[in-house]
Amino acid sequence: MGLFRNVAVVGAGMTRFHNRIHAGKTGRDLFVEAVLEAVDSVDKGFELREAEAIFIGNYSSDCFEGQGHTAAMMADWLGLTPRASTRVEDACASSGVAINMATLAIASGAYDLVIVGGFEKMTEKGTEEATEILAMASDALYEVPVGFTFPGLYAAIATAHFKRYGSSWEELAAISIKNHRNGALNEKAHFQSDIMETARRLGERHNMTFKDELEFLRSPLNPFVAYPLRLFDCCPISDGASALVIASSDIAKKYTDTPIYIKGFGQASDTFSLHNREELTELRATRIAASQAYKMAGVSPEDIDLADVHDCFTIAEVLAVEDLGFFPKGQGGKAALEGRTSLDGEMPINPDGGLKAKGHPVGATGAAMAYEMFKQLRGEAGRRQVDDAEIGLTQNVGASGATVVVQVYGR
Amino acid sequence: MEEKPFTTSSYREFLESGKIMANRCRSCGNVHLPPRPICPRCGGRSLEWMEIRGRGTLQAFTVIHVPPTRLKGRQPYATGIVKLEEGPSISGLILDVKRGEDIDIGVEAEAIIVREGDGLKLCFRLV
Repeated sequence: MGLFRNVAVVGAGMTRFHNRIHAGKTGRDLFVEAVLEAVDSVDKGFELREAEAIFIGNYSSDCFEGQGHTAAMMADWLGLTPRASTRVEDACASSGVAINMATLAIASGAYDLVIVGGFEKMTEKGTEEATEILAMASDALYEVPVGFTFPGLYAAIATAHFKRYGSSWEELAAISIKNHRNGALNEKAHFQSDIMETARRLGERHNMTFKDELEFLRSPLNPFVAYPLRLFDCCPISDGASALVIASSDIAKKYTDTPIYIKGFGQASDTFSLHNREELTELRATRIAASQAYKMAGVSPEDIDLADVHDCFTIAEVLAVEDLGFFPKGQGGKAALEGRTSLDGEMPINPDGGLKAKGHPVGATGAAMAYEMFKQLRGEAGRRQVDDAEIGLTQNVGASGATVVVQVYGR
Repeated sequence: MEEKPFTTSSYREFLESGKIMANRCRSCGNVHLPPRPICPRCGGRSLEWMEIRGRGTLQAFTVIHVPPTRLKGRQPYATGIVKLEEGPSISGLILDVKRGEDIDIGVEAEAIIVREGDGLKLCFRLV
């Protein structure tokens, strides 16, 4: 399996992900902001009108904002009509899949330059209504009516993983601590304080003091959302958008001396309901999408220098680092506890803070992961820069793993 | 009964009459709950109805503290995945449990069909 021709990212932009600072803005405002930043990031200059097509990941502006048909709307708002504009909806993997679609569109020879990205404006609704809208990405007939929510599905996976491998909530807490620490170094992250700082701030308000992160995370200030997952095991609800300018490798150097190549990609599906899986302690679609991406890129898990994985809940990062082949099954959480996945560890995971601290405007997440790889592999990630980052991987998951998309990026 | 198509509405009609009905692939023997028109294991389209007794063991669970809008006020409530004796697993509300610490994977569970509002819910009681 090879591509007709190769594809590279030549520009990337994203809004900050946040729950309040975008109040009053709409999804279209956010997406235009991200696209303009991507356009301006192109080293040797790029006119938006050079783009020949647009691919946009968006989960549910229909429910969140009452706005459907957003692909055409964005083409119009970017001043890009009559170019083809396509919306991709694969739940939280929407813009990860959009990147694959856009890559295929260039690899086929149909286009040379494409804008791809995603957006989600989620905070117009309260938490309970947003929970209901997000739950629509799981089985509305057989999971939602019996009380499953998104946190609930991942919580169930956590109980099965704990039972089978003897893993523990303390390992999940280590992931949360690490990702908040990384988020504090990312000016685009939703949360930019580490957990100890948050503990001090919240503690003052409640007349409580905490000697370390774990004491805070075990306290009533970190309540259960879905047992055994607590608030700090869950990503926040955020608004945001992300965008990339991608080009065929034939012309990429015209736009930058350091394009970041999409060296391999994969995508797989799995049973729609979690209960139909033969194995609850892994995401099979991650294993399959990753093996496709590794094969296309000609690399193995040991060759990957850093990765952005879909930690919508802390347990999801455990599954990801195991299913991607970075650590043996059952060892994913321990790896975080031992610092092996920290910024200065052997396999840095989610240097940007992950969904946990960076935020998760669902449709924007996959392309925001690509944004991070673009920055990291060019050595432009500032305080969160991973040393010697040459090959990076992104893993973007839809719902409880019924869609998984993986990309391998390299210089 | 044998004539019913393998659809969501057939499954619901069976639930209305107090039966949990799966279907089985005549080619490979795989059992599907809820029933479906194509066997996901072998692609077979020759299927037959099969009644589920409703006994099984708890495979995974959670206790929900932040509910979706439609279950607001009910929290904390437990929900989980039960592996049935006949082979397939299914999601269901777990009745009478409010703390995650009080249950464990592997315990036996029994299905109960509960009417709520104008719909039926598959629930389990731990035994």
